[in-house]
Amino acid sequence: MSLVAVSATDNLPVPASGDAPVVLPTGAPLPGPVPGRPRRGTSTIGTLLLVTADAMVLGAVVAVYLAIKEGSTTWPPSDVQVGTYIPTMITLTALMSGFSVQWGIFAARRNDGRNAAMALILTLFLGLSMANLEWLSFVRSGFGFNDHTYGTLYDILIGYHLLHLLAAIVVVLVLAFRTMAGHFSTDRHDALRAGAVYWQYTNVVWFIVVTVLFILSRHG
Amino acid sequence: MAMTDTEVEQGGQPEATSLPQSDAALPDAWPKGTDHKYIGSLFVAAALLFLVAGVVLSIVMRAQLATPDADIVGDRTYRQLFTMHGVFSVFLFLLPVWLGLGSAIVPLQIGAARLAFPRLHAMSFWLFLAGAAMVTAAPVASDVFHGWALSDPIPVRLGLPGRGPDLLLLGLVVVCMAAVLVVINIVVTILQLRAPGMTLRRVPVFSWSIMVSGAVLLLALPVLIGAFALLFVDRHYGASLFSGFTGSRGGNPLIWPRLFWFGAYPVLWALVIPALGAVSEIVATFAGRPLFSRDRASAALVGVGVLSFAGWGSEVTNLSRPRPLFILGALAVLAPVALLILNWLATLRLAGKEGDRDALRRGFGSTPMLWALGMLPVLALGLAASVVSALDAGRDAHENYWQVGQQHALFFGAATIGAVAALSFWGPKLWGRRLSDALGKLEILAVVGGTLLTVLGMLLLGVQDMLVHTSTFDSGDEWEIGNLVVSAGAAIVGLGLIVLLLDLLGSVVAGRGKASGADPWGGQTLEWATPSPPPRHNFDALPEIRSGAPLLDLQVGQSRSRQSESDLASDGGTA
Repeated sequence: MSLVAVSATDNLPVPASGDAPVVLPTGAPLPGPVPGRPRRGTSTIGTLLLVTADAMVLGAVVAVYLAIKEGSTTWPPSDVQVGTYIPTMITLTALMSGFSVQWGIFAARRNDGRNAAMALILTLFLGLSMANLEWLSFVRSGFGFNDHTYGTLYDILIGYHLLHLLAAIVVVLVLAFRTMAGHFSTDRHDALRAGAVYWQYTNVVWFIVVTVLFILSRHG
Repeated sequence: MAMTDTEVEQGGQPEATSLPQSDAALPDAWPKGTDHKYIGSLFVAAALLFLVAGVVLSIVMRAQLATPDADIVGDRTYRQLFTMHGVFSVFLFLLPVWLGLGSAIVPLQIGAARLAFPRLHAMSFWLFLAGAAMVTAAPVASDVFHGWALSDPIPVRLGLPGRGPDLLLLGLVVVCMAAVLVVINIVVTILQLRAPGMTLRRVPVFSWSIMVSGAVLLLALPVLIGAFALLFVDRHYGASLFSGFTGSRGGNPLIWPRLFWFGAYPVLWALVIPALGAVSEIVATFAGRPLFSRDRASAALVGVGVLSFAGWGSEVTNLSRPRPLFILGALAVLAPVALLILNWLATLRLAGKEGDRDALRRGFGSTPMLWALGMLPVLALGLAASVVSALDAGRDAHENYWQVGQQHALFFGAATIGAVAALSFWGPKLWGRRLSDALGKLEILAVVGGTLLTVLGMLLLGVQDMLVHTSTFDSGDEWEIGNLVVSAGAAIVGLGLIVLLLDLLGSVVAGRGKASGADPWGGQTLEWATPSPPPRHNFDALPEIRSGAPLLDLQVGQSRSRQSESDLASDGGTA
C-alpha cells in the first residue's frame, strides 16, 4: 500500500449512515494508481517540517544571544572560563552518532535487521554519553543560571540540546525495539528514516550551540 | 511526534486492510474521535467562542470610550480588556478558525480520505484547548495589561507581581505549539495525500492558500514560541535577558519588540492569506467560471507569504530611525494583494461577458458571494491605510489610532469577514445545513457596514493623534465624534455577529436550516462531489481530475453532450 491514492478509495467500509445513496455527477470510476508516483515518506516529511519549525525556535534564542553579545563590552563576562575539552568531546560523539544512525538505515535497507539493531544500540550509547557530558558541563561551568546573561543563555542553549537529545534517545530506543521485532525492510523503513532525520537534527542543534556558545565567544 | 502516527499507517503489517481497521478503531482512542471534519469543526466552534469573548471585551471598551469622561472601567481594567481583546482575536479566534476550516476542508478539496496524522490532529485540538484555558485564566490569576505585544512598557513590567502574565505566556506557548502541529499535519497532507491526477498546480486555491499560510506560520509561530518562552524565563526564574542595561551582566530591553514583531507580523499576514484564498474560491464558483488566472492568483498568494517577512520592522516603534528597507517591505507585501483583487474583478467581468448573465445575477445574490464582495471595501480601505502607515513607519502613525484602524481593516476586518464567508460557503458541506439567506443579508450589512464605520472612525482619531492606550478623554475634546463613530460601529458589528451566531445555532446546531445537498452552489472542486455532510472516509468515488476545477470540467462536458443530443433532435433551448 505504498500508494496513498489506493488507500483513499479501496478497502474502505461502505458508509453505514442512513443517508440517501451518493449521487455523483459522474459515473466515471477513479482512475487507477498513477505510475511513478509512490507517496512514501509521509513520516519523514512530517519530521522534516517539525524540525524546520524547531529550528526557528532555536533561531529566536540564538538571535537573542547574538543581540546581547553585540551589546556587551566583555563577552562572556571576564570571570567565565570557556572550556574546550567537554564541548570537543560532545562534538566528536555527535559526529560518530551521525554515522552510526545512518549505518542503521543502510543495514535496514538491505534487510539486515541484526546490523541495524546493533547500529541503533550503538547510537543509543553515544547519545547517553553526550547527555552525560552535557550534565557535566552544567555542573562544572562554575557559574549559575542567574549570575549573568551568559549563564542564562548557556544553560538554556545546552538544555535545549539536552531536551532534544533525550527525546531522540527515546525515539531511537523505540526504533531499536521495532528493528529487533522485524518491522523494517527494504520497502518499509519510513519510521526509521524519520527517526534518523530527527537524530541528525539534534546533532545540528549541537553544532549551532557549540558555535555560538564556545567558538564565537572566546576572550581575546 | 510524527513517529507515533507512523505505527498505524505504515506499521509492520504488510499491505492491505490496515487503514480501514485502524480508522475504525480510532474514535474510541480520543474524545470525539480523529475525523478531520469533527476536529476541524471543534476548532471552529472554539474559535467562535473566543470571537464572542473578544467582541464582548471590545464592546465594554467602546462603551467606556463612547462618551467623554466616562467612568465605566478604570484605566487599569481598560488595559486588561485591551490586552485580552488582542490576544483572543489573534491567537484564539483567527488562528484556530483557519486551522479548523483548513483541516476540515483541505482533505475534501484534494480528494483525500483523511489527514496525514489523524491522531496528532486530535491531540493538537486538545492541546490548543488547554492552552486557551491557560490564557483565559491569566487575567483571573492576576492583572495582565501589557497589550497583546506584551510591550508596555518595553518589554514587560518584569516586577509585576502575580502569576497572570506567566500563565498568559505559557498558554500562548501551548497554543502556538498546537497550531504548528496542525499546520505540519495539513501541509504533509497536501504534499502526500492528493488524489491521482491532482498535481500541485491543480490544488484548489483555498487549499493552496492554506498551504502558503501554513508555510508562513511554520516559520513565524516558532519565533513567537521562543520569544514567549524566554520572556517566561525572565519573569519566572528571574533572568534578565529583556531587562537591565546592556552589559555583560544584564540583557537588552530593545530586543523584545524586534523579536516579537519578527514573528507576529508574518503571523498576522498568514491569517489574512486563507481569507484571500477563500474569497478567490467563492468568486470563481459564483462567477461560474475559473478564475481569470489561477496561476497568477496562486503566485500572488505565495507573494504575500514571502513578502510578509519583509515588513516586520515597520511595526517596531522604537527603532532609532525608520529603515527604508522595512518601508519597502511593508509596501511590497500590499502589491500581490492588490493584484489578487484585480484578478477577482477580471473574473467577474469575463463571467459577465461570456457567461449566462442570469446565472451570474443569481450568483451575486447568494450569501457567500455577498460576504466575499463585502470584504472588498474593507480590504481596500486597509490597503490604503497601510500605504500611509508604511510611509510613516517609525513615526507618529504607529503610536496612535491610525495603526489601530489600519490593523483592524487589513488584519482583523478582512480576515474575519473572509472567515465568515468561508463558513457560509463550506458550512453547508461540513454540517449539511445552509445558513439562513435572509438573516445572512442582515449580518453582512451589519458586519461590513459596522467594520467600515469603526475603521473610518479609528483613522479619523489617528489623524487627530489619539494614542493607542487612551482609556478616557475630556468633554469638548475633538476626539468626541471619532470615538462615538467607532463605538457605534463596534456595536453594529457586535449585533451582526450575534445574529450570525444565533443563525449558526438555529440552522446548524438545532438543524433547522435548509438541507444543503451535495452541491448547493454549483461548486468546481472535489469537496462538492460527495454528500453533505461527507461520510467518514470522504469519498466513495472520485471524478477524473484533469484540471484545477474537476467539477467545472464535468459541468461543461455534460452541457456539451446535452447540447449535441438536442442538436440531433433539432430542438432549441436547454437549461
